[in-house]
Amino acid sequence: MNEITIFGLTKNFGELVAVDHMDLNIPGGTIFGLLGPNGAGKSTTTRLLSTLLQPTDGTARVSEFDIIQEPVRVREITGVLPEESNRTVYPGMTAYENLEYFARLYDVPEEEIPARIEELLTFMDLWDRKDDKAGELSTGNRQRVALCRAILHRPTVLLLDEPTSSLDPLAAKRVRELILELSKKYKQTFLINSHNLPEVQRVCNRIAIIDEGKVLLQGKTQELRSQLLSKQKFRIRIVGDIEKASSIAKSMNFVEAVKEEVDSILVTIEDPTENNSSLMQNMLSQGIKIVEFAEEEATLEDLYLEVVKGGIQK
Amino acid sequence: MMRKSLIVAKTDFKNALDLRFVKMGLIMSVAFGPVMVILMFVSLTALIPPSEMAFAMLFLRPMVPSIIGIFAIIPTTMISANALVGEREQNTLEPLLCTPLTDRELLLGKTLAGAIPSLIILVASTIISVVGVAVLTVVMGFPMVIALDLPGVFLLATSVPLMIFAVVAVMIIISGRVTRVYEAYQMTSIIILIFIIPMIMPLLGIETGVPNEAVWFSNITTLIIVAMVFVIGWALALKLFNRDKLVSMV
Repeated sequence: MNEITIFGLTKNFGELVAVDHMDLNIPGGTIFGLLGPNGAGKSTTTRLLSTLLQPTDGTARVSEFDIIQEPVRVREITGVLPEESNRTVYPGMTAYENLEYFARLYDVPEEEIPARIEELLTFMDLWDRKDDKAGELSTGNRQRVALCRAILHRPTVLLLDEPTSSLDPLAAKRVRELILELSKKYKQTFLINSHNLPEVQRVCNRIAIIDEGKVLLQGKTQELRSQLLSKQKFRIRIVGDIEKASSIAKSMNFVEAVKEEVDSILVTIEDPTENNSSLMQNMLSQGIKIVEFAEEEATLEDLYLEVVKGGIQK
Repeated sequence: MMRKSLIVAKTDFKNALDLRFVKMGLIMSVAFGPVMVILMFVSLTALIPPSEMAFAMLFLRPMVPSIIGIFAIIPTTMISANALVGEREQNTLEPLLCTPLTDRELLLGKTLAGAIPSLIILVASTIISVVGVAVLTVVMGFPMVIALDLPGVFLLATSVPLMIFAVVAVMIIISGRVTRVYEAYQMTSIIILIFIIPMIMPLLGIETGVPNEAVWFSNITTLIIVAMVFVIGWALALKLFNRDKLVSMV
């Protein structure tokens, strides 16, 4: 069953069409990645779903609630992590006070508030810092407080806008782990906007690529990758002359592209089942020492570039 | 509705107190109004012969509600500036708008955050001023002086509370046009100067000894101006205060 259903959603800012008749279905319990270049309409979509903005046309349903007809109900069941959310906590209030304030606004029963805050801050490794003013916490810790704030009322849907932007790699990794842990623990539906393609690849089980407010492609992450990337890429790690290995590969007519790296070359091969052995034999016969010949996993970045640059329609 | 609005109001007030200029402003507002009124009366009582006191009172009494009013309104400008523009400045507005608060609950919360402290200060300053002047004049051996007359009570009971709420409306209107709390505070402070009218206008009839009619006329004129600011301000503020517009400003 779809947890989020978007029908012909449109948002204009004057002449600018930020979201253009978007249709999208997000099944319950999925971690859904919304990808797209700057200005593609990702944040506007999130803001429309969180009822912060009124659509110009179309509508959407979050669980069984319509974003136009029942915005308060939508907000009750939705947790939102805005863009640059580490800057959205009240700096003069402690981590605990920030969460207590929002717990009351989200109607968390008064007697449950202390236990929930303790559970979440402990889960985020922040219980020891609960009495520190949010303004004195590190960027990563403020981001965690913001994440606690988003899930404090146990929403069924979480809208996360660039959840790891402005975080250092370690903090970003921790946030990714938290998203996966939360998904496992609370079975919520996540919609994540991100530029960070490796992150989406690691976390999201479904994705949509949007540009100019339109959905270009959507589906399961793994399926989309294998469907679109028909040509396979291989990494050949060698000892010795990289340039010689590269020129041998380029001379083979079934090799489409060659990219040199420090200790290896990346080759894109047509029909690898037939041609891999020829390439390997050719190299070995010319004295190239091959240490590794392995399939290079296609990344979401490849898919993204192919879709956005190639203008592939769904 | 009221419960959540009060939660917002309480938090906004607490957050405003974290700022030194707001804290100092509040202390000044509580202290300066009564201190000015008491000093004005007590010093004149000591300087002017008792036979001329009745005449001096004609000039002094119209000033009392203006002084108390101006100092009572200042906290509203500071707290509202922080609650409305400050939320944007600190980027804390968006998560607040994502909560199940309705626009009306949020608006009421923001209004009460600035209005309640000012209304408390207004009542407290009035009582302290009147009691302070009465007690001190008696203690100093002069006939008891009552600092506030009926037109003054009228001004304090009508124009000042109305102005406190009008300031919030003006703050909502300008919050979309300024980016810093200080700018909002300075811009809104200008409208407080309306209360110079009841302070100065009665003195125009100085040759005739400031008749009671002149005081009433200036106070009613002030009320009409304040009421206009209130009505126009809130009509515009209610139109501007909605999530879509607030988020577009973020």
